[in-house]
This record gives sequence, C-alpha cells and structure tokens, in this order.
Amino acid sequence: MSLRTLLRHETILALVAVVLLVALAFQSAQFFTGANLLNQGRLMTEVGLVAIIMTFVIITGGIDLSVGSILGLTAILTGVFWQNLGLPLMAAAGLAIAVGTFCGFVNGFVITRFGVPPLIATLATLALYRGLAEGISQARSVRGYPDWFYVLGQGNILGVPTQLWILIAFAILASVLLAATRIGRSIYAIGANEVAAFFSGLPVNRTKIAVYTASGFAAALAGVIFVSRVSTTRSDMGTGLELDAITAVVLGGTSIYGGRGSVIGTLIGLVVIQSLKNGLSLAGIKAEGTAVLIGLMLIGAILMTTAFNKRRA
Amino acid sequence: MRRSMMTTLLALALSAGTSHAAPVWTGADDQPTSPLACDGAPAAAAPVAYNGGTPAKAPERKGKTIKVVDVPKLVGIGYFNSTSQGVKEAAKELGTVDAKTDGSTKANIDDQITLIDNYITSGVDGILFSANDPVAIAPVLKKALAAGINVVGYDADAEPDARQWFVNPATPNGVAKSLIDTLAKEIGEDGSFAIVTSTFTTPNQARWIAEMSAYQAKCYPKMTWLETVEAQEDNILSFNQANTLINKYGSDMKGIIGMTSVATPAAADAVTQAGQCGKVSVVGLATPNPMKPYIKDGCVKSAILWSTVDLGYAAMQALRASADGTLKPGDKTFKAGRLGELQIINGSQILLGSPAVFTKDNVDTFDF
Repeated sequence: MSLRTLLRHETILALVAVVLLVALAFQSAQFFTGANLLNQGRLMTEVGLVAIIMTFVIITGGIDLSVGSILGLTAILTGVFWQNLGLPLMAAAGLAIAVGTFCGFVNGFVITRFGVPPLIATLATLALYRGLAEGISQARSVRGYPDWFYVLGQGNILGVPTQLWILIAFAILASVLLAATRIGRSIYAIGANEVAAFFSGLPVNRTKIAVYTASGFAAALAGVIFVSRVSTTRSDMGTGLELDAITAVVLGGTSIYGGRGSVIGTLIGLVVIQSLKNGLSLAGIKAEGTAVLIGLMLIGAILMTTAFNKRRA
Repeated sequence: MRRSMMTTLLALALSAGTSHAAPVWTGADDQPTSPLACDGAPAAAAPVAYNGGTPAKAPERKGKTIKVVDVPKLVGIGYFNSTSQGVKEAAKELGTVDAKTDGSTKANIDDQITLIDNYITSGVDGILFSANDPVAIAPVLKKALAAGINVVGYDADAEPDARQWFVNPATPNGVAKSLIDTLAKEIGEDGSFAIVTSTFTTPNQARWIAEMSAYQAKCYPKMTWLETVEAQEDNILSFNQANTLINKYGSDMKGIIGMTSVATPAAADAVTQAGQCGKVSVVGLATPNPMKPYIKDGCVKSAILWSTVDLGYAAMQALRASADGTLKPGDKTFKAGRLGELQIINGSQILLGSPAVFTKDNVDTFDF
C-alpha cells in the first residue's frame, strides 16, 4: 500500500466534497448555515459510528451486514431491560450495548472458527439478530424515557449536538488506532494477504474477532443514540443501515477487496453523502433523484479506485 | 464445540419466537380498547378540549400562496398515490397552494424524519404527513411547529401535541365493528376465522386488531379467532399465507379477514384458486379496483375502505384552513370543500366519515 495512492483518492474526494458544498450553498440559501450543518451532523452520527468500524472490517477483506440488526436489537433491549426488568436506564443501556458487542463477537467467532465467509456469516446473523429483536419486542414499542436521556440524542453540549462529540472522539481514536498502531498495521496486512500475515506470525484470528466485536459495539452504541434521538424503540430500527455504512466506506476509497482504506476517507464519504441528500432536498429535488445521484457517485468512486490500481500495477 | 455453538444459537433463535409470546397472540397493541355498542348505538362522545399543537409565531398566511409538502409513509404504492392525488386535487381547487409529495420508497422512520427535517430547513409553510411511528416522528414535527409551520396529519397520527390537526380516515373501533359485523353476517355468530395482516409492528393494523378482538369478545363471544399471520404487504407472501391457512384449518375455518389493501385481494385469490368460494368467506380492507373480479364473480361479497383520495383532499383542505385561521381550536365541525361538513372528535381529529362498503351493486362506481 503506497501512501501516495491513498492520498490521491482522498484528496480528490475532499476536493469533490468542497466543490459540492459550494455548489449546494449556491443552490439553496438555507444549506450553508451553522444550524443546518450541525443538524446534519446529528443525523449522520449513527451511520458514522458504524461506518468508521466498517472501514476496519472491509480493510481486513471482510464485511459486516448484521450492523443494522444489531442496532435494532440493542434498541429493543435498552427498552426491555429498562421497562420490563426495571433496571435503571443507564444500566439497561450499558447492558444492551454489552449484548450488541457480544453479537459482534459471535460474528467474528463464527467467521474465524468455522471459516464461514463474512458475507454469509453476517447475512445469517442479519436475519438472526433481527428475528431476536422482533421476537423479544413482540411489536411493542417502549416509550416515555426520562428527559435526561434525550440529551444524548436531541440535546447540545457547547452548542454542538451531543452525539456529534461522540462521533468526533470515536473518529479520532479510530484514525490513530488504524494509522499508527501495531493493531492497525496488522489489519492492513491481513486484508492485503491473509496467508502471508498468518505466516508472518500475526494474530490473524484474534485481530479479526476484535474487529467484528468492535463493529458490534459501534452498532450498539449507535442503537442507544438512535433511541434517544427518536424517543422510542421499534424492532425495525436500523433496517438498511449496513448499506448506508458500506456506501460511505467504499465512496471513501476503501477497497472492497481489503488491504486499503482509511478512516478519514470514510468520514469524507459520509459528509459527501449527507450533504448531497440534504442539499439536494433543500434545492427541491425529490428523494428518488438523490438516490440516483448517490448511485452514480459510487460507481464513479469505484472506477477511480480501479483506475489508480491499474496505473500502480 | 462446533455443535454446541450451533445448538445454542438455534435454541436462542427459537426461544425468541416462543418464550415471549402471549398464549394467543392476536397481533394487537397494548393500548386500551373501546368497543362500540353491538347494535350500533352511537357512543356518547364526551367533548374533549383542543389537544393539538400550535405553530409558534406563524406569519400571516391568509390569502397568500403557501408551499406545502406531503410526506406519506412511503411512495410508490397505490394507497399513497391516491392520497397524493387527493392532495393535488385540493391544491388545484384552492388555487393558492403549491403542493408536492415526497417520501422514501421504504416505510422507514429514519428516512421520514430526515426528509421532514430537510423541508423545515428549506422553509415550507405547511407539512402534511402520515406517520410511520407516532412517537418517533413527534420531535421533528414539534420542531416544525416551533418554526411556525402548519402541520396536519392524515392516515396515521403522531402524538397530538406534535401536530395541529389529524384527518382520521375512520375511528379504529368503527373499522373493527364494520369488519367483524360483516364477517359475522357471512360466517354466522359462531364461526371461526383467521387474519392476514401486514406486520405486527404496523400501528394502524395493530390498533384495529386490538379493537376487533375487544368487539368480537363483547358482541360475538362464540366466534373463534384461529390465528393472525403476517404478510408484510407483499402480494406473493399474502397469497401463500392465505393458502397455508386454508390447508391448515380446512373446513374448520369459515372466514379470512384481510387487514391491508394487499392482503385482502391476495386472500380472495387464494380462496378462488383452492376452489373454496362459498365455503371460506373473505372480508377485509381493500381498494375497490383489485377486488372487482372477486366481487363480480361472487366469491367475495364485500370489501371495506375509506376513500383514500378524499383523505388526502381533506388533509390539504384542513391545512389551508388552519393556515388561514378559519379552522381553529375549539371548532366542532370543519367544512372541507366538496366533502362538506366533517365532524371534529377527540379534541383535534377531523373524522372523514364511516368507511365505505364496496359490494356487487356499487363497486363499479369507484375507481381507485
């Protein structure tokens, strides 16, 4: 992996993002305002948390389709633990996050121990965890949380949405972890060539399990934030979230074959998608039109990565 | 190790389906029910004070052209195409409304919230909505009210203080009474029946099923409720589920109730193909067009639904009137253009009227 190619994809994407922001600002006077941008940050936090760890997963050459279901399961469990088991809300949320993290661990365990391809394993748990969420909730929503809980999803700290602070902290931590530690380098090595990594004495299975567990944790944390933002729990929460996250990761230049990618790229990808959705909507374009544009951008991003790879080879 | 892992997973998955299920799961919600009198005597409605919200510092909109966005649960299905048609019809008739419909192609709470949020930022004057979840949508609607936007719901409500008015297509206990009475007329007061619904999570269907269960227990205690099955508003799945019910219960099952405009025609199709016309009755909620063949060949006697076009039409009328200040808290009735005077119930709900019953005699006069 050469640093130069990495920088090039991200630099181009960053330029695209800047051009896009300027263009959208001209399209609609309401777009480039502090209130709107902060609000967009609030709306993209859940996908953002999941996408950051999804970057790790995809760099190892894997994929995690179960994140949306883990989000739904965590949301339901937060409500059930709190209302039906009578736990304090803080403990209920903590316990639910623990279960969500364990779900991620199960993904990693099944993938590494039984050698199931990640696509199949997490496709199975996508159904399994969603089924659990629906079975446990029995279609009943849990509502009426205490006011302090809404600070997390609806409140501000120092004028910035609470969850955006969490996303920022998470992003910094993940960037450092991936770019500047042994674990990060192991992740790249596994994605680039798993067999070589194994024979170089890297803890391949342990690293992969850790990555999927972290993915479960991120989805679970996003679940609790989501509950706080919409003030209710439903078992269908987070449906389709995995696709939004993967879109951001791939748009951000992470190779779906593994071995290449970065957290900063994913973050730029996220910003591009979110500002496109928001800006086009403000400019009066309907949701269908936006979906088409995002699809085209994604194809463009993949063509760009492929072109770079050819030149390098 | 391998085996025990898989066994644990399997056990976990299975227990989720069974351990939490109530003895007879009917697909109902937890809210209190209020079944109507069996003979149809109108309940004494206690007057309720206005409980809707009020837009803060709304600018003077009387007589000015207003920009309105209509956000249904999802776009691309017949039901909401026809409500959108009603919205446009009213907008055209009023002449001072610039209305458009925009929504996600999936009935997804997050997409719906984000979409509404964007329209608030873009500065519309009015929002019409059909909520995917009454509580989840409330914060964003309150934000709209705080921004001085007029907010009116239709089809599926939000919490009352998160919108000004809600156009109620039919009261849940009214729907329940129509369905169960029609069923009782066809299969007798001691028949057994099953239900095909969308999903247990859909608030409207869950509410109706809760009311149906209460009304049936009160007025037809000898009826047997066999089972409620989910079919996701999916054509093929609805047909398969109905078919499974026919095979499973055989002559023990006298009727099927379809809870969605997809499930009812699919159930009718399943009964027709199984050669059970006349032996298994199908009643349910359905738009008239897909039911025409079954009603005409006599396999289905009737289908029930409100006019979805009128629903969108009334919602648009209510929005314009509340922006003008002609519809205000405390009103008992509301004059909705060509629909005439509509009754206001429960503080802030505009009642569209009784659901229409489509039979062999009148089905050709409807086209939606």
